[in-house]
This record gives sequence, C-alpha cells and structure tokens, in this order.
Amino acid sequence: MNTTLSPDNYMPGSFYEIDTPFIAAHQWPAALIDLALGRGQEEHKLLRGTGIFYADILSGNLTVSPQQCFQLIENARKHHNANELAFLLGHRLFPGNYAAAGNALVNATNLQDALDSLTSYKILLVPLLNPRIIYEQERLVIYWQGTGANEATQLFLLEMMATALGALSRWLGGEALPWQFYFTCTQPAHTEQYEVHLDGEVHFNAAANAMAIAREHLHRPWKNTSPSARVIAQRAAEQQLAELQLQQGFLAETYTYLHNNIHSNPNLEKTAEDFGMSSASFKRKLKKHNSHFQEQYDSVRKDLAIYWLSHEGWTNEQVAQKLHFYDAANLRRAFKKWTGALPSKINKHC
Amino acid sequence: MLKLHKWKIALLGIATNIALIANLGAGDVKTWAEINWLDVFSEGGLATLAVVWLMLILHSRPSGRVTQLLSLGLSCIALAGFQDVLDEFIALPEVVVWDHWIESGFMPIGLILLTIGIYHWHREQLIISEQLRKRERLFREHRDLNFTTNLSGANYLRKQLQHELAMHQSESAPLALLLIDVDNFSQINRRYGNSEGDRLLQSLGELLLLNIRRNDLLCHYAGDRFAVVMPTTGKLMAETLAQEIANAVRHFAFKTYNQGESVFHTVSIGVALSVSDNQTVDTPEALITRANKALLHAKEKSQCAIHLAA
Repeated sequence: MNTTLSPDNYMPGSFYEIDTPFIAAHQWPAALIDLALGRGQEEHKLLRGTGIFYADILSGNLTVSPQQCFQLIENARKHHNANELAFLLGHRLFPGNYAAAGNALVNATNLQDALDSLTSYKILLVPLLNPRIIYEQERLVIYWQGTGANEATQLFLLEMMATALGALSRWLGGEALPWQFYFTCTQPAHTEQYEVHLDGEVHFNAAANAMAIAREHLHRPWKNTSPSARVIAQRAAEQQLAELQLQQGFLAETYTYLHNNIHSNPNLEKTAEDFGMSSASFKRKLKKHNSHFQEQYDSVRKDLAIYWLSHEGWTNEQVAQKLHFYDAANLRRAFKKWTGALPSKINKHC
Repeated sequence: MLKLHKWKIALLGIATNIALIANLGAGDVKTWAEINWLDVFSEGGLATLAVVWLMLILHSRPSGRVTQLLSLGLSCIALAGFQDVLDEFIALPEVVVWDHWIESGFMPIGLILLTIGIYHWHREQLIISEQLRKRERLFREHRDLNFTTNLSGANYLRKQLQHELAMHQSESAPLALLLIDVDNFSQINRRYGNSEGDRLLQSLGELLLLNIRRNDLLCHYAGDRFAVVMPTTGKLMAETLAQEIANAVRHFAFKTYNQGESVFHTVSIGVALSVSDNQTVDTPEALITRANKALLHAKEKSQCAIHLAA
C-alpha cells in the first residue's frame, strides 16, 4: 500500500453519519414536534417509525440521529396542512433552544458575525444541512449541501433555513434584507409560502441550492446585541464542539476531501483508502446517505466549474484541464448534464 | 363527539342483544353445513356498514333533531340487517313470526326515517352554507383549510379565481383581488409568543369577514397574508373597500391572552383588477402576481398603505 502523500493532500477528519445520534432532541426536533402538534397533527402519526418518544425528549438529554430527524420531517409532511410547516419552523428556529451556539448567533454584532457563528457551530445549529460560505466578488453566497435526506425532505430543510436566516437578519438588523434565494427544484405548487415568508427574490431551477446577499449588508451594525454575551456564549459553544469531536457530516467531509484534492483526480479506491476503509465499505456508506461516488464527484466538479467560469473568468479549456476532462467538448457535455445549460450560458448567478 | 351520543349507541346495543337472546331462546343453532356463507357476508355487510355510517354521523354531528332522525333510521336498518344475519345461523320454528317483523318492518321504517333525516340535513346545510358564504364559494375543499384561521388557502384561491375569471370574462365585468399583509407581524411572535401570533391571525380573519360584502370571498393566502376576491368590482370600489379594511384593522384593539394588553396593528394592501379586454384571458397566477407586486409597492411606500396595480 502506498502511504506516501503529497504534502498538500487533504486528509479526511472526524465525521458523523446519518445514523450517528448527536442531535439534541429538545432543540430542533422538539421545535418541529411542538409546531406540528400545535397545527393539529397527531403524536403517534408524527413519531411513527422515528424511534423517538415524546416523554424522552422532556428529559433534556436524548440525542437523535439525522435519519430519525428525516423520518420526523417525512411524517410531518404527510399531513395535508404541511406546506407552511417548514416556513413557520424557520421563523421560530432562532433564537430557539440552542443553548450556547444559539446565544452566540443572536448576539452577533452584524450579519458577517452571525454567518461566522453559523459555520463555526454548524453541527449544533444546522446539523441536517451543510452550509458552505463563498465570497463572490460583490456578494456572499451560502451554498446548502445535503447530508443524506431525500429530495422532498431536503426541500423542507432548505425552505426552513432560507426563512430562518432571512428572519434572523430582519429581526436583528431591523429591516428586511434583499436576499437572493436559489432552489434547484422546479417551482413547487405552494409558491405562496415563498412569496410571503422569504424576503427577497426567489429563483427556481437554479444550478445550486443557495442564498446570497450583497457584501454591503454584511457589516452594518446590529444595535441590540451584546458583544460580551457573545464572547461567553462562543466559549461555551467551543467547549460543546470539543466534546462532540465531530467536524461535519459524512457527505460534507467527502465533498471537502474531493474539493481539496481535485488536482490529483481522486477516484473511489483512493478516496476510500484515505477514509481508512475498503472501496466496498465506502460505497456502502455513500449508499446509506442516499448518494454514490459519481454524484459526489460530479457535484464537486460542477461547483468548481461554475466558480471558475463565472468568477475567475477561466476558459472552457482551462477548466476542462483542471477537472481532468479530455477536452472542452467533454466538459461542455458534462456541464449541460449537471446544470441543464451550456457553460457559455452560465452567468454569475448561481 | 361520540360522548354526546352514548345513549343512542347503548340503545342500539341493547336492542341487538335482545334480538340475539330472543333468537337463541326461540330457535336452534344451525350446523356448519346449513350455513350459507354468501348470505352471511352480504346481509352481514349491510348491517356492518349501517353501523359504520351511524358511527361516522354520530362522530361528526352535535345532538339535535337531524341527528336523531339519521341515527334512528340507520339503527333500524342495522337492526333489520342483524336479524337477517341471525336467520342464517339460527333456525326459528314456523310459528315464530316476530323475526319477520324485525326484518321486514324495521327496514322500510329505517329507510323512511333516514330519508326524512337527509332532507332536513339538506335544509340545515343550506343555512350553514349561507353562514360560510364569505369563506367559500362554488365549491368546497376541507383539506385546504388553514388550521389557525379555518379559512381556505392559496390553492383554493387559485381554483376559485379560475372559475370567477372565466365568469367575468363572459360578463366583461372586472374582478378585484386584494392581498392584505399585516405590518411587522414577526414582532408580535417575538414579543408575545407564537400562539399570540396565531390568535391575532384568527381574530383578524374574523374582523376581515365582518368588513367584506356578502359576495366577497376571504382566503388565508399564507403566513400573515390574507386575500379577498371581490366579484364585479371596479377600481374605485376596490380602493374604497381596501381603505375601509385598512381603517377597521387600524382601530382593532387586539387583546393579548394573558395580560389583556391592547395591541394595535396596521395592514398594507395590494389591489389588482382583472384585465377586461376580450383578447387576453387573465389567469389566476397573473392576477395574484400583480396583486403581490402592488403589495410590495405598498410596503415600500409606508406602513398601512394601499397600492393599486398598474
């Protein structure tokens, strides 16, 4: 086995899986359960197949896995009045019941601060989605990556987070910000919820699930927050993170690995080896997270291609070479498959 | 609801038990070979279904004359069906005639009572529909009702507009759509809690119902946004009515649940009129989009503003 590595190779860190129980049940899951019950849903139907018992949540130390949360969302979505749930939950998400991490977030002194907290404490605040923050010329973009949910459940989470961050910045900043929201799905039937609950423009059929804000809004001071409370909360949240000993989800870690090692054109075997498991185990793990290697690899290459083409101004040939395509024509074909549009049609908007 | 009707259910239980005991006392149980299972299923099916209907009706209705008639009718049918099934299991001697009376007497009586009940139910429904008039028009869809306000949602609004626009097209009269949005709604949720927010929406729903005309339709669009469909309403009328609604809300002193504190609110309203020329057919989506844009303009202007779509 070849163990020598080039010095700039990224090696995977600790990650949680879809069945790792680390999410405090009295935080996000309890908020969803209370909301759904308050909207006329029945407890036994809502909790069916989740392995969660309502009484256990009240103990305050039950932890659940992402898989259990996904099942919970799926159950909640079955109710005929469920379209507004994700949005209503988004409004209530912050400050919510997030202990130190939540306190750090709502005592941020400006939007930039808040987003820093969001990414630092992402496994405490948004364990079911992975936020990636990218600065693109005059704006900041938060890309949302899945952690193994199916498409409908994923949309629920995206709707929830879009509403939550919109509501947070409006609440602390005192005014609605002109966010741009991007969803890869086609326009859903319940567009009225997007119109009412999301401040800003909403785009469907986008190349990525994301939300963007002009940079000028990042450093406007938020007046009613407490910097000292923030420092204390941050310390406590760091402590909590250190105890958890997890960096991010399995898919996010795979993505980070592929993204950082794209120069060496990593394949399944090499990736599995670096993750310390056999190809078969690695494949099984991806399957458990509703994904497969090619999908992950393509999503990395798609994001890089879009970024290089639209923000770095590279030519198709340069991008094709960097992404290990035989030539520009092959890149164009793949790009069309990933995004539905040719590279020449891609503008800088997600 | 079943609690209200426990005597009715108990009575049916007693009646069927008496029938069972009487049958067992007067006749002999048949052997397996004598039983015709097809008859058991078809006759037993009728009795079972009658009981199911009875339970559904009792479960969904308060006590009263119409409920009495419906449940008495269905009970008679169930009893007749039950006797019919018992005949399949128990052979009664020829001299016994009361079993025939139960079977053939109760069935028509039950059907007649049921028919009278359904007729009165129909009368009752007409009155309820009149009460619901500002909440639903032309068709009914209970799955689209909003849990907080009990008003129909956006889906219902779109379907309704589809109908109304087609009608207005042929009559070449304009139709107005108002979108009404509560200003700073998130503040009440943050300050008083989410259940207060829900209560406010509920109260506003009632308030809006009082302030619209008999033929107008109120829907709960989504979140803190309401929609009013105003058939055969022109620009001036729509603006006047919108102003009246805005005034009514501004003077509405909502009381919080715990402290009884008065909380005042304003609304912004976007108004859109259907396009009335014969060339293009206006779609619900286009009309709603125009109203939403008008609402955004209104919000930009100031709080408590009304804006008419161009």
